[in-house]
Amino acid sequence: MSFAQRNAVIVAKKMHHIPMGYYKPFFVTKNNKPLKVTAFKMDEFAVTNVEFLEFVIANPAWRKTKVNKLFADTNYLRYWEHDIVIGKKNKNIYNSPVVDVSWFAAQAYCKWKNKRLPTVAEWELAGNAKPKNIKINSLTEYILGWYKKPNLFVLPNVKTTYQNEFGLYDMHGLIWEWTFNFNSFISNGDSRGNTQDEQKAFCAAGSINVADRTDYAGFLRFSYRGSLKGNYCIANLGFRCAK
Amino acid sequence: MIKYIITILVATGIAGCGLNNSKAELKKDESCCKKDSFQVQASKEKMREKSIFQLTDSFQTQDGNNFNLALLNGKPTVIAMIFTHCTYACPRITADVKNIEDSLKAAAQKVNFVLISFDTKRDTPARLKAFANEMNLNKDWVLLHGNDEAVRTLSVLLNVQYEKDSDGNFSHSNLVSVLDKFGVLQFQKEGLGEDHVETVKTIKKLIE
Repeated sequence: MSFAQRNAVIVAKKMHHIPMGYYKPFFVTKNNKPLKVTAFKMDEFAVTNVEFLEFVIANPAWRKTKVNKLFADTNYLRYWEHDIVIGKKNKNIYNSPVVDVSWFAAQAYCKWKNKRLPTVAEWELAGNAKPKNIKINSLTEYILGWYKKPNLFVLPNVKTTYQNEFGLYDMHGLIWEWTFNFNSFISNGDSRGNTQDEQKAFCAAGSINVADRTDYAGFLRFSYRGSLKGNYCIANLGFRCAK
Repeated sequence: MIKYIITILVATGIAGCGLNNSKAELKKDESCCKKDSFQVQASKEKMREKSIFQLTDSFQTQDGNNFNLALLNGKPTVIAMIFTHCTYACPRITADVKNIEDSLKAAAQKVNFVLISFDTKRDTPARLKAFANEMNLNKDWVLLHGNDEAVRTLSVLLNVQYEKDSDGNFSHSNLVSVLDKFGVLQFQKEGLGEDHVETVKTIKKLIE
């Protein structure tokens, strides 16, 4: 690890308390009432490249030339120069969110930190809090504005978008994030299944509906999650941990 | 309409690169596997790298014994995820797996049959045992109970989507999966009461 890399390591990661709340599932069935989410803690910002570097140094099985293909596809950490070298050309992103990491890698990282991935309900509850350091009309509008922008060539550092009322940075506007149960049932959304009868393919699929039809940003988030597989490594998808 | 929008989104943009990549990988795997024995050997190694038996989490059987997936090594495995309080889909998916077992006749002895429950709270080993009796399942079927993390990880590996509803029941995809002797996912069929001719054909090939 070069001096610059070492220097960039963030020593203590703050977690913020998210109080008990109710989360209204985006896709509603008649059995799907608002879900009580007990209080938990969430990382202040997404796991960065230097933070993830610590993890792969301590866990050789998660280095990019060693990783098992069952747990991460060939794009895993593809922009890193080598196993334990983020690379000089990447020096601007040492403190940017690590991306191109699989769900399995994210799980393993959080476990190593004695944490876990947040559930969809926890993430959505935490992410719905209003920004406190920027002025916006609505969160939906803000998020859609982000979706419209093409991906930047260099991913900005963490803490560069906004901080929300829980103290969390960049819940929207920087990357997409893995959740523990990203593969929750969301109707046969991506049409990967080949049955014509949804009722056959999915238990309880008959009466599905959307909680808030104007929440197009939420709709995109849920569709995105529904299209993922656990070993996918994607350039705008990272994670943060909960406890 | 909503469904179509999602389809378009997914197909064209958001997760496009991930999908393409996994397709490219599949092609690589298929094209490598014939001709000389060296190549066959190499491809087998590669296949085992994708073995689901690498999941080391511990489960419990309907008899209360500890179990990990590596114990299935050596035989092809038919595997489905269910929960026993399910009134509509799960008895049918179980019946589908039973039909597969029946179609295999004597060859069924050379195959593992495994059901894993999403319902980590209610589906205790004892409850799974009662379900096995109720459904008249053969003694050598394995019904597994596991913790939230183990079950979620397995669902991710098997591409099964599920979510617990507020009433304690589950919404879930109905998927019968076939693993080869080494634990590599080889075939999946979605839906209930489907024609399982192809599934049976695949299993027979994997037994040889």
